Amino acid sequence: MKQQLMQYFFAQRKGSGEAISLPARLIGVLTVFLLVALVFTFAFSRLQYGWHWGEVYTYQRKFLQGWLVTLFISAAALVLSLIIGLFFALAQRCRFLPLRYLGKFYVETIRGTPLLVQILVFFYVVADAFGVGNRYAVGVLTLALFAGAYISEIIRAGIESVGESQLESARAIGLTQRQIYCYVVFPQVVRRVLPPLTGQFASLIKDSSLLSIIAVSEFTLNAQEVNSYTFSTLESYLPLAFGYLLLTLPISLLSRYLEQRYHYAT
Amino acid sequence: MQLDLTDIHKRFDGQSALDGVTLRLADFHSLALLGPSGGGKSTLLRIIAGLETPDSGSVEINGVPLVFSDEQLLQHRRTIGTVFQAFNLFPHLSALENITLPLEKVHGYSRDEAVAYACQLLSRFQLQAHAGKKPAQLSGGQQQRVAIARAIAVKPRFLLFDEPTSALDPEMTAEVLDIIAELRHEGRDLILVTHEMGFARQVADQCLFLAEGRLVEAGPAARLFEAPEQPAVRNFLARVLRY
Amino acid sequence: MNSVNGTAALKRGVWGGLLLLMVLFPVCQGGAVAAEARDTLIVGMELAYPPFEMTDVKGEPTGVSVDLAHALGKALGKKIVIQNMAFDGLIPSLKTGKIDLIISSMTATAERAKSIDFSDPYLQTGLCLLVNKESPIQTIADLDRPGRKVAVKKGTTGHTYAAGHIKRAEVLVLDKEAAAVLEVVQGKADAFIYDQMSTYQNWQRNQKTTRALLTPFQQESWAVGLRKGNDALKNQINGFLRDFRARGGFDQLGNRYLKEQKQQFKRLGYPFFL
Repeated sequence: MKQQLMQYFFAQRKGSGEAISLPARLIGVLTVFLLVALVFTFAFSRLQYGWHWGEVYTYQRKFLQGWLVTLFISAAALVLSLIIGLFFALAQRCRFLPLRYLGKFYVETIRGTPLLVQILVFFYVVADAFGVGNRYAVGVLTLALFAGAYISEIIRAGIESVGESQLESARAIGLTQRQIYCYVVFPQVVRRVLPPLTGQFASLIKDSSLLSIIAVSEFTLNAQEVNSYTFSTLESYLPLAFGYLLLTLPISLLSRYLEQRYHYAT
Repeated sequence: MQLDLTDIHKRFDGQSALDGVTLRLADFHSLALLGPSGGGKSTLLRIIAGLETPDSGSVEINGVPLVFSDEQLLQHRRTIGTVFQAFNLFPHLSALENITLPLEKVHGYSRDEAVAYACQLLSRFQLQAHAGKKPAQLSGGQQQRVAIARAIAVKPRFLLFDEPTSALDPEMTAEVLDIIAELRHEGRDLILVTHEMGFARQVADQCLFLAEGRLVEAGPAARLFEAPEQPAVRNFLARVLRY
Repeated sequence: MNSVNGTAALKRGVWGGLLLLMVLFPVCQGGAVAAEARDTLIVGMELAYPPFEMTDVKGEPTGVSVDLAHALGKALGKKIVIQNMAFDGLIPSLKTGKIDLIISSMTATAERAKSIDFSDPYLQTGLCLLVNKESPIQTIADLDRPGRKVAVKKGTTGHTYAAGHIKRAEVLVLDKEAAAVLEVVQGKADAFIYDQMSTYQNWQRNQKTTRALLTPFQQESWAVGLRKGNDALKNQINGFLRDFRARGGFDQLGNRYLKEQKQQFKRLGYPFFL
């Protein structure tokens, strides 16, 4: 009897892995949902908060516009950051020393300073000095430079993780250096970095919310504006959280799928 | 084939791997390199394979000197087949693709020709059922057999084997050794580094014994095994053949 | 064997129960108890608005609104606690009971009055423009043209005005006054819509790059904000404000914090209301 009950709440051991039955999965998810709902309902009932969803609903276009802007900025920044990341990953392995040191400098400074600070400095100091006024372009560029540093490290690690023995094997069959990069190193690097790269994309989407401080009209700023107009904080910000989840959840699922697909013993 | 080594020296990080190896073998089909670990066998094989450049000394194969420039070594490597102890194959390609890669990219075969020929080779080694599998899905013995197929696919002048069975269990070892013996009987030239003494004795024409980077003894296989001259060789064989 | 399992299960149950209590306990606190019943009043303001709400060199709240709050506390016999927070968070905090009053130079608007109550107004001011020197703008009408950029601070009446009246120019919503001023200074925005006093101060600090249009195009009055349904408290506050003005309390505050502005405005011919 007890064993049967355990089966519905605990993952069973099976060999060296786990076996979770379908009813157990459903019960688990439902329990978590109920618990979270319970906590929140209790909190809200205590608060005597008057919900005003109607008011916020009239601003739905603002939410949608902001969501789309976030999507486009993130996509543009991602593409740009891939190029930047690839460039600096290769630069750090380059034999031309000034380029190599530039790469290291770039990675360390960007990774060592907060994105907020970078946004302010790039827009109000650097862009201003160069006379560039378009905050969307500067915003995308800042995001791209930020993510690029992390991506370059991911790619670099990917390249270095291709075993020495494979390079030896490739030399032994007579491939040139260029061919080795093309047919042996890069196909494997791509497979290896795809999971962390997709994770980086999800981070990028969330980080784009910081562009609100330079008045880029993205999702977070739009939600904040609705909040200012309606004074309905929760009704403004809950859709905000939901909207971001809508963007990031598919990506984390994709990342997990890619991890499984390209996982093989090396 | 013919092999001439003159005063080969090679140091790694201050350690001497080969310390003045000189050798002249006029005519042989298969050569076995024997000796204790770290004696220099692999290093010598890698130099002959064109993967390593000696600090000093010269190498002549079939009367043609080996020129130690990047360009020439690349050409040299394209005409021979090398099989390592492990990690020969590229993990992101299937068995078939591992073989077609050098055929297409190095030797200019068309895609169809390469695939046809690769399939032929895989059938010869009874691996046609595994053509589409990735190396991780193959056993150690199967991986090595695919590696050998790849090595002979390029129609090499001769073959080099660096302890091809050291990472395999006895059954798989037998699988792989069978193939090497087969290749030997076909008349191919091969140089082999191995710890399988029984096999070396059967398959090799000539044997070299290397210890501490020096050539201790060289001669026909039969003689080396039955009546080794040097005490080092005698002791080694006694230890190794005990069980 | 069974008793061992039994006690283990009991232990787990007790721990689980405690954990659940720990999670729920904080949630139980912080109920919205009636403000009159307690003897502390929490006053919310954004300490980023000199000389009305600011911090001194020691980091303590100071300014016109702070002094006003303390005077109010004295009159009502309650202790005053000043709570610093972002301007657009004041009304939500008031509604949820985190603060009891808003004394933060907040304009009483009909929109806001839907959510909270306001006392009688205590200061008259208006919306003005801080303009970039290169920009040709002379009036608020000039501003609403395509190609122009207007900076506003999130949650202020300037923001509300822009949302309602600026249709053709681009509206830039910043969350800090300093950022909005910087936008105008650098020419990224043509003008910043803000209250008269601050516009004057910002112009003073950036005379090389900006100019100020100090005739208000929209009149506003500031009042104390409190939760709806607290009529007793509202009457008390209104009473206090009347007394305070009669006693010359506002004049004193004006002299203490706004002496220079008072003189300048007199010179420039703008009305000064405090």
